Amino acid sequence: MVTGVPLTTLADLPDGDSRGFEVEGWRAKVIIVRKGARVFGWRDLCPHYAGGTSMAWRRDAYLNGARTHLACHAHGAWFDIETGVCVQGACLGKRLTRVPLRIDEEGGVHLDRAPREDKA
Amino acid sequence: MQIIGPDLLVFGVDDVPACHDFLTAYGLEPQGYSPEKGGLYLALDGTGLEIRRRDDPSLPPALKTGSMLRLQVLGVVDQAALEAVAAELGRDRLVLHLADGSLRTQDDQGFELAFRVTTRTPLELEAEKINAPYHPGRPVNVVGVTQDMPAKPRTLSHIVLFTPDIDVAVGFYRDRLGFRITDTLTGAGPFLRPQANADHHTHFFIRTPEYMQGIEHLACHMGGPTELMLAGSRMMENGFESFWGPGRHKFGSNWFWYFKSPLGCNVEFDADMDTHDDDWAPREAPMGPEASQAFLMQWRKKWAPGGGPGPKG
Ligand code: FES
Ligand SMILES: [Fe+2]
Repeated sequence: MVTGVPLTTLADLPDGDSRGFEVEGWRAKVIIVRKGARVFGWRDLCPHYAGGTSMAWRRDAYLNGARTHLACHAHGAWFDIETGVCVQGACLGKRLTRVPLRIDEEGGVHLDRAPREDKA
Repeated sequence: MQIIGPDLLVFGVDDVPACHDFLTAYGLEPQGYSPEKGGLYLALDGTGLEIRRRDDPSLPPALKTGSMLRLQVLGVVDQAALEAVAAELGRDRLVLHLADGSLRTQDDQGFELAFRVTTRTPLELEAEKINAPYHPGRPVNVVGVTQDMPAKPRTLSHIVLFTPDIDVAVGFYRDRLGFRITDTLTGAGPFLRPQANADHHTHFFIRTPEYMQGIEHLACHMGGPTELMLAGSRMMENGFESFWGPGRHKFGSNWFWYFKSPLGCNVEFDADMDTHDDDWAPREAPMGPEASQAFLMQWRKKWAPGGGPGPKG
């Protein structure tokens, strides 16, 4: 299902960079990281503490300094960009919640299914 | 043992310019900064942070956990105090006497430590004054807040460490260095103050698995709650992200506002912390939301109720 207005477009996502997007009804943003023609979507919820907390140190600044991993900038946990698995730090072995994304013919990046109302 | 508290915290980071942006927005004064080498970031009294690249050969070894904290430099009152530290720690570990007069060693869990006669300069700044009925704190015609009033960190206040063994931490900081336990959050750990500092805590330890060992947060003291609120609001308006706060802690009574940072730890503004002496009877409470704060609030964009229909949302 690819409907409605895209969250962003490939053209607006610099390769290798991250951005955060508000989705109406969701309490946490969606993080999108672009790697070439692929995009990876994650909830902006660090699994260190129950319920999750947001991870950027500044708007859209979700990557670690070496830009190799997603990072939670509260305590420095690192997550694999493609699998969401924490590889270093406070949430070792836990993982981020994936947000399935789809790219349309014009390069628009959409949520792959309509967002459910966020319960928390 | 006449220790005052942290003079300098040294970090080895991956993104020096990001740390520069963050720490200058936080209000520390950069000194000798270059994007390649890093620099010093100082509070008003000269205490502060040193930021270097992770691979800077001048840095002590890193913890295996990835924590970017590389060294705590603790200030002591005078040369005699420094010699007392050297004598005590020299009993069971290597204590290096460096050319700059400082001591270099490790605590019992592998955190790198240095000691020096403090280089902080006492400030001639007044605390924030408040007016209460029948007891005005400010002279007449002196206003309490202006939008552009300075709100700069005055001094490095405390450091909180994730540590795998609280008994070992207490065994070192209390039993060897003479820190006093002021209060304890059971399930997390103790707050400690060194003997030459009345502040409720310069150190707090949180028990964690070994793979988390490192720094949880650091904090600087502001001149009062208004400065804290202003400084934090300026951070929010500039796109920096809050982690926790603003609010007011119970143990220590300090106002708090924590921000995530590119240093791999939270960086806190604090204000109006309790002070203690040895007559204080330590308290204990189970770690949790209730014990952690008297109240907690969340920042929002400026808004005002006008005369007309209320805005949506
Ligand atoms: S809250 Fe994310 S690492 Fe601690
Ligand atoms: Fe704190």
